[in-house]
Amino acid sequence: MSKRILIVDDANFIRTMVKDVLIPRGFEIAGEATNGNEAVKMYEELKPDLVTMDITMKEKDGLQAAKEILERHPEAKIIMVTALGQEKMLLDSFKIGVKDFVVKPFKPERIISAVEKALA
Amino acid sequence: MKINAQFVNPFIQAGINVIKQIANIQVRRGHLSYKEHPEPSYGVCIIIGVYGFLKGQVVYSMKTEVAKRVVDKMLEGKSPEEKKLLFVDTLGELANMITGNATALLNQNEKYSLKITTPAIATGENLNVMLVPKPALILGLYTQYGPIEISVALEEEEVLSEVETTDEVLNEI
Repeated sequence: MSKRILIVDDANFIRTMVKDVLIPRGFEIAGEATNGNEAVKMYEELKPDLVTMDITMKEKDGLQAAKEILERHPEAKIIMVTALGQEKMLLDSFKIGVKDFVVKPFKPERIISAVEKALA
Repeated sequence: MKINAQFVNPFIQAGINVIKQIANIQVRRGHLSYKEHPEPSYGVCIIIGVYGFLKGQVVYSMKTEVAKRVVDKMLEGKSPEEKKLLFVDTLGELANMITGNATALLNQNEKYSLKITTPAIATGENLNVMLVPKPALILGLYTQYGPIEISVALEEEEVLSEVETTDEVLNEI
């Protein structure tokens, strides 16, 4: 059975890029969220196998959303996909239980390797 | 006037790298100049706020024709309808990636973080946008389609390095 992915990013351009990489590899897109609030709500509804999460978003940022999801579901598999490749962001992400940290712009193989590693 | 020229180089480096990687467009570094405020020179304008130990705005601007060619390259393989639909969103993400990558170069300290706002985008010949009343260093990135202007209006929250003249700032870069 194909693994179901929730894509969280306020930019349609990035959601499209992630879909274009994952769908041909046999992944199913469970849903798309455009901010942290939607991400938390959609995680509860959809229970995806993995979440790709942006950081800079309106209403609730991706770090806060990831933290809330992981507090309720420590087994959740989340990878951050963000333009903010700062050391502190990376450390904060791993501290709350995020599996990987991909800096935009990314090469397709970087996303695939992050997703496959997190799901292994 | 207080302004720090060291804040500009990361935007040059990030701009060249991101545009090359995401749009496969070669970019060369252009001239540097100074303005009292970061007002855009061209009809398409993207504004991103920066906050943390630095505070201010970064304003990207380009001609509509340049924006269309860059988006066209970023969305290679998509239909004309999709390109039209994603036009504004894609430009915003380009600015987001350049700013985000530049903040990583500006801040390699694990104790502090720099945050950025989501991009605000305006188009049209008579732009009316909210800009910070801060001096800006303006850098031009030249593509085969025309220039992309980046206005960096950032100041340190606490300690600022003092410079006397515009020439002194430009000589530091």
